[in-house]
This record gives sequence, structure tokens and C-alpha cells, in this order.
Amino acid sequence: MQFFSFLGRNRCVPPITSCLLFLKITAFLIIVATLQIHAKGVAQTVRLDISNGTVTALIKDVQRQTGYAFLFNRSDIEGLDAVSISIESDDIHEVLTESLKGLPLDFLVKEDQKVVVLKRNESKLKRERLLKGLQQQPTVQGLVVDTSGTPLPGVTVSVKDRANMVTSTDLNGRYVLQVPDGAVLVFTMVGYQSVEIEVGSQRQIDVVLEMSSSLLDDVVVVGFGTQKRRDVVGSVTSVSPGNLKVPSSNLTSALAGQAAGIIAYQRSGEPGQDNADFFVRGITTFGTNTNPLILIDGIELTPNDLARLRPDDIQSFSILKDATATALYGARGANGVILVTTKQGKEGPAKLSFRFENSMSAPTQTIDVADPVTFMKMHNEAILTRDPLGTILYSQEKIEMTEAGKYPLIYPANDWKKMLFKDYTMNQRSNLNISGGGGVARYYVAGSFNRDNGILNVDKRNNFNNNIVINNYDLRSNVNINLTKITELIVRLSANFEEYRGPLRGGADMYNLMVHSNPVLFPAYYPADEDFQYAQHILFGNFNNSKINPYAEMVRGYKEKSRSQILAQLELKQGLDFITKGLSGRGMLNISRLSQFAVNRAYNPFYYEISRYNRLTGDYKLFESQIGTEYLGYGELASEREQYSSFYFEGSLNYARDFGKHNVSTMAVFQARETLTANAGSLQLSLPSRNVGLAGRTTYSYDSRYFAEFNFGYNGSERFDKNNRFGFFPSAGAAWLVSNEGFWENIKPVVNNLKLRYSYGLIGNDQIGTAIDRFFYLSEVNMDDPGRRAVFGQEYNTYYNGITINRYANPYISWEKSYKQNFALELGLWNDLSVVAEYFTEKRDNILMTRSSIPSTMGLTATPRANVGEASGKGVDMMLEYQKSWNPDFWTSARANFTYATSRYDVFEEPEYNEPWRSRVGLSLNQVTGYIAERLFVDDAEAAGSPPQYIGTSEYGGGDIKYLDVNRDGRITEADRVPLGHPTVPEVVYGFGVSMGFKGFDLSVFFQGAARQSFWIDAAGTAPFINEAQILKDYADSYWSEENQNVYALWPRLSPTLNSNNVATSTWFMRDGSFLRLKQAEFGYTIPQRLSERWSMSNLRFYLSGTNLLLFSKFKMWDVEMAGNGLGYPNQRVFNLGVNLSIN
Amino acid sequence: MKKFRIILLAAVSCLTGCGNWLDVVPDGVATLDMAFNSRKQALKYLATGYSYMPKNGGADDPATLGGDDIWTRRTTHFSNRFSLAGLDISEGLQNASAPVLPRWNRMFEALRVCNTFLENVDLVPDLPAWEREQWTAEAKVLKAYYHFCLVQMYGAIPLVRENMPVDADVYAVKVQREPVDECFNYIVQLLDEACQGDMLPTIVLDPASDYGRITKPIALSLKAKVLVTAASPLFNGNNDQATLRNHDGTPLFNTEFRPEKWEAAMAACKEAIDICHDAGIMLYKFEDAANRYNDTTVLNVTLRNAFNSRSSSEIIWANTQMISTPTSGGMIHASMPKLNPAYVNSNDICKWLGMPIKIAEMFYTENGVPLNEDKTRNIGDLYNLRTAQAEDKLYIRQGRTTVDMHFDREPRFYAWVGFDGGVWFGAGQYNDKDASSLRYLGFKIGETDGTEGQGNWTGYIPKKFIPYEAQLNAINNISSLSYAWPIMRLSDLYLLYSEAINEAEGPNGANSSELFRYIDLVRARAGLKGVKESWNAYTNNQKYNTQAGMREILQRERMIELSFEGQRFWDIRRWKTAPNEYHTPLMGWNMMVSTIDGTEEEVNKLMYQPQLLLKQEFGIRDYFWPIRTSDIEVNPNLVQNIGW
Repeated sequence: MQFFSFLGRNRCVPPITSCLLFLKITAFLIIVATLQIHAKGVAQTVRLDISNGTVTALIKDVQRQTGYAFLFNRSDIEGLDAVSISIESDDIHEVLTESLKGLPLDFLVKEDQKVVVLKRNESKLKRERLLKGLQQQPTVQGLVVDTSGTPLPGVTVSVKDRANMVTSTDLNGRYVLQVPDGAVLVFTMVGYQSVEIEVGSQRQIDVVLEMSSSLLDDVVVVGFGTQKRRDVVGSVTSVSPGNLKVPSSNLTSALAGQAAGIIAYQRSGEPGQDNADFFVRGITTFGTNTNPLILIDGIELTPNDLARLRPDDIQSFSILKDATATALYGARGANGVILVTTKQGKEGPAKLSFRFENSMSAPTQTIDVADPVTFMKMHNEAILTRDPLGTILYSQEKIEMTEAGKYPLIYPANDWKKMLFKDYTMNQRSNLNISGGGGVARYYVAGSFNRDNGILNVDKRNNFNNNIVINNYDLRSNVNINLTKITELIVRLSANFEEYRGPLRGGADMYNLMVHSNPVLFPAYYPADEDFQYAQHILFGNFNNSKINPYAEMVRGYKEKSRSQILAQLELKQGLDFITKGLSGRGMLNISRLSQFAVNRAYNPFYYEISRYNRLTGDYKLFESQIGTEYLGYGELASEREQYSSFYFEGSLNYARDFGKHNVSTMAVFQARETLTANAGSLQLSLPSRNVGLAGRTTYSYDSRYFAEFNFGYNGSERFDKNNRFGFFPSAGAAWLVSNEGFWENIKPVVNNLKLRYSYGLIGNDQIGTAIDRFFYLSEVNMDDPGRRAVFGQEYNTYYNGITINRYANPYISWEKSYKQNFALELGLWNDLSVVAEYFTEKRDNILMTRSSIPSTMGLTATPRANVGEASGKGVDMMLEYQKSWNPDFWTSARANFTYATSRYDVFEEPEYNEPWRSRVGLSLNQVTGYIAERLFVDDAEAAGSPPQYIGTSEYGGGDIKYLDVNRDGRITEADRVPLGHPTVPEVVYGFGVSMGFKGFDLSVFFQGAARQSFWIDAAGTAPFINEAQILKDYADSYWSEENQNVYALWPRLSPTLNSNNVATSTWFMRDGSFLRLKQAEFGYTIPQRLSERWSMSNLRFYLSGTNLLLFSKFKMWDVEMAGNGLGYPNQRVFNLGVNLSIN
Repeated sequence: MKKFRIILLAAVSCLTGCGNWLDVVPDGVATLDMAFNSRKQALKYLATGYSYMPKNGGADDPATLGGDDIWTRRTTHFSNRFSLAGLDISEGLQNASAPVLPRWNRMFEALRVCNTFLENVDLVPDLPAWEREQWTAEAKVLKAYYHFCLVQMYGAIPLVRENMPVDADVYAVKVQREPVDECFNYIVQLLDEACQGDMLPTIVLDPASDYGRITKPIALSLKAKVLVTAASPLFNGNNDQATLRNHDGTPLFNTEFRPEKWEAAMAACKEAIDICHDAGIMLYKFEDAANRYNDTTVLNVTLRNAFNSRSSSEIIWANTQMISTPTSGGMIHASMPKLNPAYVNSNDICKWLGMPIKIAEMFYTENGVPLNEDKTRNIGDLYNLRTAQAEDKLYIRQGRTTVDMHFDREPRFYAWVGFDGGVWFGAGQYNDKDASSLRYLGFKIGETDGTEGQGNWTGYIPKKFIPYEAQLNAINNISSLSYAWPIMRLSDLYLLYSEAINEAEGPNGANSSELFRYIDLVRARAGLKGVKESWNAYTNNQKYNTQAGMREILQRERMIELSFEGQRFWDIRRWKTAPNEYHTPLMGWNMMVSTIDGTEEEVNKLMYQPQLLLKQEFGIRDYFWPIRTSDIEVNPNLVQNIGW
């Protein structure tokens, strides 16, 4: 097969790939089918007529008639007397009691699971006791409905304090449960207020559940366990997984504005590179690690792993913000904790839920560049305005001919954007999950497949696809097994596989190249002319063989990357009531492996240039200026090869018990973690990273009114010297539920909930240096440094590599510490509206920083560091939720979040500046400093007469930026730099939205915004003509020229070289990063149940949704959320069509 | 409760055990002590000290593009291959917030390495005593050299006699600058310590592996240069720097002229010359063993090889840490013309480095005297056109028309300066019997180096950088031997000696014969007659009779002999003649000629119009580099140099 074919083979996906895809999906469906193990059964009448039959025959008969499964040991029923029985009854208890009379067999009927357990028992006494016990455990059944009378499926019905006696209501809201004597039944469901009912002698208990707006009874996932919302003392925000379901394969892109306390923003829309940056309560350290700790099912993972998590699989998503909430994670909790748990199976028939989405994705905004003719004119102008004797690059002939549009191969005018990118692309996502189980085991199995495409063009003449394609497969299986009544084993397996294919240089770089490629020197490619008619390759254009042809760069090859991550987790829960009531233990073991590799396949392009042409006829001659290859070369990308393994163990003891009105719980956790990285790059980095810790929590509450909590973490990290290795991080908090006081009764109808909380504590952070700087207590010496090589010998071939010190040892470096304080007010009004408002302060000390007091005359090759920095932060976060069902057909809800977080340097080692404004102390950690631009110089004379500007070394004059001499010393130097604008990380992030439903229709919109943020246009990166940069349209429309001497023009005087005076960080290119955008809108329709049931589905919903639909901002050049990264891969606007169905 | 206690105890003991689990670092992680565990490692550490040697002759050397002898235009095509930072100095853009091509940090790092070596070299167990002595002496010479490099650039500096510990007190590390006399004394003291006895070898015994390491001639030549510098007007009785004082009032420059400094310099030069002679170092002469070339060619090759041949016998100290290479980024690549018509399309070989007209005029006439003093020449004719005749054919291509000033110049001009029509011996063509077969430079349209807008903007190429065998062997590839940049040549030392005698005693003092002997040795090698003979015969004055006149002659001789080698930059500062030199603006011929079609006469008329390239200025502040503002902010005890 010829590699190149001009016959137009245009197959983006080779047949083998699509075949594989098909196989993968089929495999999925087979798994689904086999999991359908539960059949529905209805109580039936049993007729038995057996004389002298075996027990086995009896069992078979009953099994056949009732559908009950029998569990027994074969040895138990061997050698028993024959059975003679004749009975007709619809009660299986009666049937079995009569049949097995006189035999040493006990039986136990589990009606809800349709299981009969048979067990041999010789002891008459014991047998009698068992029978008695059975009689004492009557069955209770009933119906659960909501206030409108609609039956509620999926309500958890449990016996209080008996974890293993639990069931849930079926589709019709019905339940059946065996209960012991004196039991109290608890009915719980997320979103509804729990109800507790004493059983007494009742056998039929029907319940009405009210919607809870205060969420007080929600279970909140906190560190190493769960708590009732009512009992929580610390600061924990829960995000409903539903709110994270956005039409994107990246979960992090949904975070902004969804949770009080999260500062998040997204700077790129490139598939696979579009993680949003997110911080819990802002950034309060200038150390290395500012990321929150991310725990998925208790395992520390990375933002990349969070990004790949499917919202469908999420049971709970919590953000732990203050000291008491995070103290248990003493070592890593300083930047906040994000806790995610995945779904678990519930007892009941298999429930299948399937979702499929197809999205259309297109940039929210693209960058416009000036047309090629303007480009040439302005380039000539740039040369002449700086040097009137300079040589212009584009002749008048070329400009005129280009303008006329004649002979586009000789006078090319490329629209690289059009050549390189499509207008939109299509992405698909699907997710399938099944859950269910019986009394012994419950399962949740989910699989999903996502496909994300980039918007790059593909050349039809290549037989490979260079566009970005990411196929991501995810498989998750959570199984809970009751080993005994008090022992539960949980096995969680999850695997994520990602196949990436994309351009050699990555998508963002292609965008960069689009703007940084000359549009007029050469066309993307020439058609094969007579001389080269036999060429088997594309005749790419070039100029002097020294330019980058972006089209050639894009289509000359592709990169393939494969990533897989597998996690296996085993958790054992053991009730220890036999030691003391209320005690239980838990152990968890987790092993995960990540592996990734990448290869490049590319050919070297053949470049052609025009050697001579006739401007009248348009005839031209090509010559080959670079001989390429017609075959693909290959390269392994060692830097993208990644292998990572981690091991985690956690063991805990819990104790929880009520003593009348006193409620006490305590917990101790031991944890150990080890991670290893292959391809680490150096000996020190190749060593395992280890953490151990002991953490504890004690809570006490009195009468559900007063709550107190004490937490501690005692952690060790391998990064520090032996003497400074362990840190102790205690915290404490208290809460007062005012609305539970007796005197509140009268106010309750209006203020149904009022709670005050306070916490204070200490948290540590051991990830204080970059990954390269691991062991601060050791010096890092390179005994073989080629960078300090000395050469000797007459032939210069004797050489010795040098010995250099990359780090000086400092045994005193230890934990960064964070002191967090939190005040909170929770308010519930009219049962519809709930408000949580929190005020927090934080103080960090021991922040690692590079010593700046050491002069260079010391001659150190590495600057020592020490824990000397201090910073503080404070802020407010607020959450407001409103829910109302006006009638059974119409409901509304609204929610709003607001986070304000600010930070400041408290102690920062810096030179003693004469100018107070140069000190960082008191400024935000993300504050930028720079010059104050007054305007552009009117002319050279003014520039010469103004204070000299020592900013870089470029000459400047009329039309260049004039800066303010802040310290009035008659010159512009470093000393005139002042803090500019707002921090680069937004201080305010907020979101608000409303949802409503009417009958089957639902509609929701969600707005998200950020404020108090500044960013800078990258003046050096966008400077026209520098690195072949094109002229941004906005620059072409507004720049200082000798004809139009606008001293407030957007772009200063043109220059063919980088003018360091103009590109310095200054107010000239500072922009306001505030924005408000319509982040999400969704319209859905659920097919009425009577219809969907006819198609044996329990639920069928279609929906249309969109992301990034509208944007309000003062900044117009590109999507403002990308801030300074404007030439990167643009953020995407997505229109999405989806279907969601579930089958019981 | 008891059970709880047991559990708690177990947990605590488990954690204690975990303390060891956290010890992940195995024994045997490298520490600095290992550098002194064996001779082999210690040698690497000594080499680390060498690796800091400033890279003279290259983009990182301020003397390359930062002075007034080499100029190029800022083009991205070139700056992608060769850093043009030096131009910032030449264009007067030096500044204190981000000094251009500073040496401050690197040299202090280097001094720390030298001191660490000196502190620990005694610990190396398997090092023989003689070698320990030699290495100690080498480290001391390096230490002296690095101090000297700093003094040249910054004037008074803080001396690093010993290393301060890394965790030294924050006040102790804030050192002060020490007076220049103190600095020079310390540098000389170090060199004297290194030159004691036979610690250093006189000649490199194993040149295959040790060439480039410090020898006694190197140490003594460096000492000579240091003392000449210390005695020169910049450091000896300089009133301009009188106001430069530490915060406590200590003056950093001695304003009193001390003639004994010149006497010490004179003695040091003599001592250095003697040991160089002992070591067999002598002025280079090309050996035409096969007798292939005529005398003109032999002289031409001699002069070119003296600087850029690795076998040159007059090189005292070659910087093997700075190899001039024919590859991109090297000096050969930066100045090489195409010469060969076969590769006229090469766009990577663009003779970027040029030199201004004033440097071309600096060279003597064939009579060994300056152009403006040669009574046989009419100064008004210099820019008139003249056509090369048969007698010029080995220097200027016969029949080519060029300006009068290119005719009848001294052999060094033809050996070291390339110009339009100038013959370029070598580069693949060696038959001097047939002058028309030799390569020559052609800047005009259609000629080998006449491509539009490519490189050279002055009309002159510093040919000295390019070995005579160097030639293009593929479209963008140069084949050439590389060479280590000479830090010190014997002719340099000779001229220092003559200069020191003249300054100490005048031209007619006790050592008068020595004075003229050494300068005349250099002139004779360049094919010129002695100073007295030349001046008597071809000028109307005998300025060699006065100290000032002789100074002028010596300075001119030095600037010619050491042209383009990075010496002029420092010499004119040391002599304090820089303001005068910079006063002459940088001019070049009209190189747009390469785009103009026309008759030869028309083109020549257009080309030989001097064009202003750059007007330079030189003030008191330009004698020394600024100390980076941030360094002063960290250590306010450092005072800034005057004017920054």
C-alpha cells in the first residue's frame, strides 16, 4: 500500500478501531444481562402431598411452588427420617413447621429475600429458643408516601441500632421487614425528613415523609465516616452529584460556583488538558502545594483522577473546609479536603440506569487576526518607524498582488485558522450502571464510555488522523458482602482506560502556532506541478527553509498516548459489640497502579519554495528546499511515560453510644501510605514516599442541642529529618442548635432551624517544596554534572564532569502549619429556605521560602531555604437553598453560592527596600507588581525629556509606553514597580441557579461568575512579528502610528523586534477578569410513568443542555475565563442532547 | 477501659515502629564529602573550578560585541544562533537592574568552589604529595584569575579569602567591597604562593590530556598582566573614582599615582618572559616544509595561525573551556563568508560579524606606520577608488576596484581583515602561483557573498577568527578545525613588557634596548621594520623619543597585534583612552550594494559611501559594570559603582 494516496481516502477512524469499539460495548451489554439475577415473585399458595419422601424432595417441591431459595449444608439433611405431609397453605412458615416437625432441623425464612435457611440442630432446647425468637420477630409491612400521597420508592427502612436489619421500599413504595421486639423503625431518604416509629404491636405501618429543606437529617460524609448534618460541628459543604452532571468529560469543569468555599476557574478547553484549577477557600500559602487533598473512597488521588470520575457513580461529594473537618488528615489537610464516595449497591432487584449524551462543542470565542495585506503593510511600517533606513520585508508588488488576490500560490494569503481548525466537533458520553443485591451481598457495577474530539482539521491525503481523539473507558464495581451478621466486607474495583490520539505538538500549541505563523510567505502546500508530478508526498510550502509551516506541523504525524489506572480496594467492617456496646472496627487496604506511555509517529515534511515566477502569467518554478521522508518515523516519548504505584492501609476503631441524652462517639484511625514512581529521574525521587499517621475524633452531644468535637492528627512524613519528622495537629469545635431549645418552640414555624458553630485548630502540610526537592535535610550533590564540565588536552577530548551542589542540607525544615478558625451560622426558614453562612480566618506559618537575605557574594550554587514565611487568609462563604413543592405537579428550587477568600503575606523574607510599596508584606499572595503606565509618549522629544526608563534594554520613543516615576528619583527602575490590580486568582467566585418542574418537564439554569480578579494580556506573546506572530485584530484596529498618534491606543508603536519597554508588566495590559456566565442550562422531559412502564422502564428522560452559553464581561478579545492564556486552546461552548433511562 | 488502653498502646508502639518505616533514604546518597574520597573525584572537583573560566571570545564575552571593534545588526536570523546581548553594552544600554553580561554571580560561585577545594584537598587519601601541591597551586591561580576577572569588571570587590559557612549569620554575610589596591595585592599574593618552588610545571608533560591546565608560565604571565593592570591609569592614581567610598568612608580607589607599581609590573613581565622562553614558547612562524608557498603567503598563514591554530607555539594560555567551533553559535560560524560559488544559496552562513571602518584604518601601512603619518600616502585619497594591479594580486584580486585605503597595507591587515575584493588565501584553494584561482570576497550582487540582506553590515570581516583551511563543505556546513581561544599569547606579554618599561622609565631609560627589542620582535614577525627605522624613514616625526609618543606607538601596536582577541575592550579602559576611541562613530560601507544592479563603477561609487552605524558614548560610569540593584538591596553594605 502506498503511504500517500491522492485518491482521497478519508477515513478518520480505521476500521479496526471501530470494530474494537463495538466489541467493548457488546461486552458491556453481556455483563449487564448476566447481572439480571433477581426475578420478581408473588406470594403463592403451597400444596404438599408427600408420603415417605426425602427431605430433598420436599425442598425441591417447596422451592418449585414458592420460588424460595433454600440454603443448607448437604450433610445436614443426609440420613434424616422420611417425611409424610399433606397440607395446603399460603404461609410458608406454616408449611415448613408442619413438614419438618420431628426432624432435628431449624429453619429461618427471609421473606424479603425469598430465602430459607436450613440448619441441623440436635438440641431441643436451642431449637425451642430459636422458635421462640422467630415468633418474637414479627414482620412489619407498610407503604411510604410523600406529602402529596405519591408512593416513594427507595426509602431506606431500618431498625434503629441494628445495622443489618434494613430494607428499602419498592417501586410502589411498599416494604416488608422482620423486626425484633421493641424495635424502632427509621425511615430515611435523601431530601426528606427522617421519621422514627416505635413498632410495638403494629404489623402495618404506613408513613408519610416530608421533604426536608433544612437538610438537617442528611447524612454528611466527613473524614473517615459519616455524620448527620444536625451533628456536624466542622465546616463541610456537600454538593449534590446531580449538580455535577454537566455535558463534559471533565468533572472539575463543573466545580466553579457549585459549592460554597470553592474557588475555581478554567483556563483551557483542550480535551484532556481542560482541568479547572480549584482551591478550597482560596490560596493561603506561597509554598509549592496549593491543591486540596482529594480522596475518592478514602484514597488520595490527583485532580486528574477527580476529573475522570463520572458523576453518575458519585454517591456523595463533600468539601471539608475548616480545622475540625480536616484535622484527621493532619498531614495533608491544610489546603482543604475534597471527599468523594462512589455508589454502593442496595438490597433489592437489579436496577439498571443508562445515560447517553451527544454534544456539539465549539469555541466560546476565537481570536481574530488582521488580514494578510494589513499584516504586510504593518510589518513594513514597523520596520520603517523604528529605522527609517531599514529594509522593508514586503515589496509594493507583493502587497498589491496579494490584495488583488491573483496567483495565490505566488502571493499566498493564508487564513491559518480556517486551514487548521474546524468550526465544531461532536463528543459522546455514555454511562451504564446496575445495582442491587440480596441480604448477603449487594453490588453496584458501572461502566462508561466517553469520546472527546478536538477541532483540528485532518488532511485527506494522509491515511491517519491527527485530530485529538480521546476514548475513555471506565469500569467500577463495588460489592458489599455480609460475612456474618456483624462483619461486612466491601470490595471496590475501578479501572479507567484512556486512549489519546492527537497532534504531535498538542492542541494548545496548534492554537499558538495559528497566531504565530507568517500568513504571506508561503502557502500551506503547493499542488504538484509538472516537475513534481510523481511526488508521493504533500508539497508543503516554506520560506528560506527557516519558517514553521503550521499546517505541515499539524498533519505530519500524530501522538498516541495510553493511560490506565486500576484501583483495588478491600474494606472490612467488624461490629465489636461483644467487647463493649457501640464499638466497631474497620480496616481498609488499597492498591492502585497507574501506567501511561506515549509514542509519536510522524514523517518529515518535504518543503518547497518558489524559485522564480512570472508576475504577468503566474507561471512559477518550484524547488525542493528540504528533503523529507515519505515514511513515518517513530519516537518514544520518555517524558510522557509514567508509572506509579501506591499502597494505602487504614485501620480504625469506632465507638458510638447514647447514654440517655448524652451521645458520645470516638474514633481512632491509623493510616499508612506509600507511593512509588517509576522514571523518577533521580535516586532521591525514586525512593518511596511514605506517610504514617494516627488520628482521632471524639464527639459529644447533649440532647441534640449542644455539640462538641475534638480531633487530632499525629503524622509523620519521610521528607523531614528524624527529629522533625512528626507533627501533632489538634483541633476542637462546638455547636449550639438553638432551634432545639425549649424556648424556641414558638418561633419554629418561621425559623425552623438555627445553629451556631465554631471551630479552631491546626493542620499541617508536608508537600512544601517541589517534587524535585524532597529531602531538605539532605544535601543534593550531583557528582557527575556535565553542565560544569571542564575540557583539557590538545585535542580537547579529555574532559571531567563537574561536581555541583543542587541543595544544601537543612535538617530544621519541617511541616508547614495552618491555624484555621471558623464561625458559622445555619438558618432554616419556613422549612423551605436554608442558609449557611461562614466566616473563616486562617494563619499559616512555617511556610518554606527561598532565603533572600543571602547575598550572591556567598557564591552558593543553590539558594538555601527555610520555614520562615507566614501568610494569612480570611473570607466568607455562603450557601442558600430554597425548595418548594407547590402541588404534586409543580416544584421549584433555587440555590446560590458565594465564596470570598483573600490572602496576605505576613512574613516574607525580602531585601530592605527603601520604597515601602515594594514589600510584599500585606499584599495578596497572588498579587502582581509592575509599572504604572501613564500613556504613550507623544513623540521622541517627549521620551527624551522624560525620566529615563530602565526597563529592559530596548530603545523607546514616541508611541512607546510612558511609565510613572513613582519614587520621583528621576528614572524608572525596579523601584517604581507597585502592586497592580486585583490578584490573579479570583477572590470572589459565585454561582446561582433555579430549577423547576412541571409534570414531566423540568428546566434549570445556572449562572456562575468570578470577581476581584485581574489578568494581563501576554504582551510579549502577542507582540506582532515576534516569533512570526500575526497581528491580533484588536491591535490592528488600535495602535500608535505616525499618521495616527493616539497616545491611548491599545498597542504602542509597532516594532519588528520585541520592545522590552512595552512588554513589561504594567497597567497598560492589565484587564479586569470579572465575569458572569450562563454556565449551565438544561431542559428535560420525563416520559409519564404509565408509558415508560409499558416499555418495562421505570424512568425515561430526555434532555437538552448547554454549557457556557452566555458570557458577560468587559473584556472582548477572548474568553475572559482563560485570562492570560488567551492564545491557548479556547474554552468550549457545548450543546448537548441526552437520554437517561432506568429499568428496575 | 483496659482494652482501650491496650489498643492505644499497640497503636503508639506501631507508630514508633513506623518512624523507622519513614527512613526511606538508603546509605550511600552522594554528599560533598565524596568529592574528596579519592584522587579521581578530587580531580573532578578541581575541574569544576576550571569549568567557571569565563568564555572569552564568544557571545558571552562582553569584549566580542560590547566594544567598538565588532558590530552587527540585530537580526532574528542571527540572534537565534548567537546571543546579541553584547550589543546592549555597545549601544549604551547597560543598566543596573539587569546588568548585561555580568560576571558577579558566576565568579563568586567559582571562588567558593576554589576555596572548598583548597580547604579539603588535604583530605584526599590517595593523592601523592607533589600532585597535591600542584593542584593546590592550580586552584590558587584560578582563585586569583577569578578575582582578577571581577576587578576588571567591577573595580573594587569583596575578596573571598575563605568560604563562609552556609548557615552563617545574616549580618556576617553582608560583606563590603575592599579597596582596589587591596584586591590587587591579594591577587598577587595568591599567584606568588602558587609560583613558589616547583609546585606548578613549567611545561605540560602530558599535553594530550593536560593541555589547558595551569602551568608556571601561565601563572607568571597572569601576574604580569595583573600588575600591569594595577599600574595602569584606571587603577593607579585615578581621580575619577575618588568619590567611590564604602559607607564607612573608606575610599576604594587610591588617587595617588605610584610609579613603583610600573616597576613591579616591569619585573613581573620580565620574569614571565623568561619562564616562557624556558618553556619553549616562542613567536609562531608557519613552517612551509614542502616549500609550496611564496613568502607573502607564508607570512599570511603565519599571522593567521599565530592566533587560531592549536599548534601555535606562542600561545601561553589557551582557554580549553572556550573552543571556537565551526558549528552554529561558534565564532567561526558567526564570521565565516561563503567564498565558494557552489554554496551561494546557503542561508545559514552569513558572515554576521563585521568591523567598522575605523578599525580597518587603525592598521599600519606597509611601511609599519599609521595611515595618517605615512608621508608616502596622501590622506585625502583614502576613499578614492583604485583598481588592483598584478603586484597586488596576492592581497587584492587583480582587476577589482576598491578604495585606496585597502592598498599597500601591512601584512596583518590582509591576514586578519576581509573586505570586498580581498583575496582569501585558503578555504580550499592553495595555489598561490595562480592568484586568480584563489578565493576572494565578493559582496556585490551575483557574487559568492552578495546575497541580499544576509549578514555583514560594515563591509569588513574579522578574518582572524577563521582558520585558513576553513571552508564550506556542504550547503550549510563549515569544515574547520576548532581552536581553544587564547587568553594570553607571547606577543601580548612582549608588548606588556615594552609598555611597562616605557611607563616606568620612558623610552630612553636603562632598559631602552629591551623596550625596542620586544616591540620590534612583534613587528618583525608581522613583516615590519623596527619602530625607529620605520618612523625615521616614513614619518616626519620621531615620537618614539618621548614617553608619550612611545606610549601612543605601543598602544597602537598592541591594538593591531591583539585586534579582535578581546583585549582592546579592556586595554582602552585600562589606559583610560576609551572616551577618545569611542568618540569616533562606528561607520560601515553601504552594504545595500548587494541589492543594486549596475555597472561596476556605479556600484562601487554607491558602496564606498561611509554609512553611520552607531554613535557611541563613553562616560565615567562605563569603565565599570554596575552591581545589580537587587544584589545591593540584599546587601546594602555594597556600594554601587559611580553613575549607576
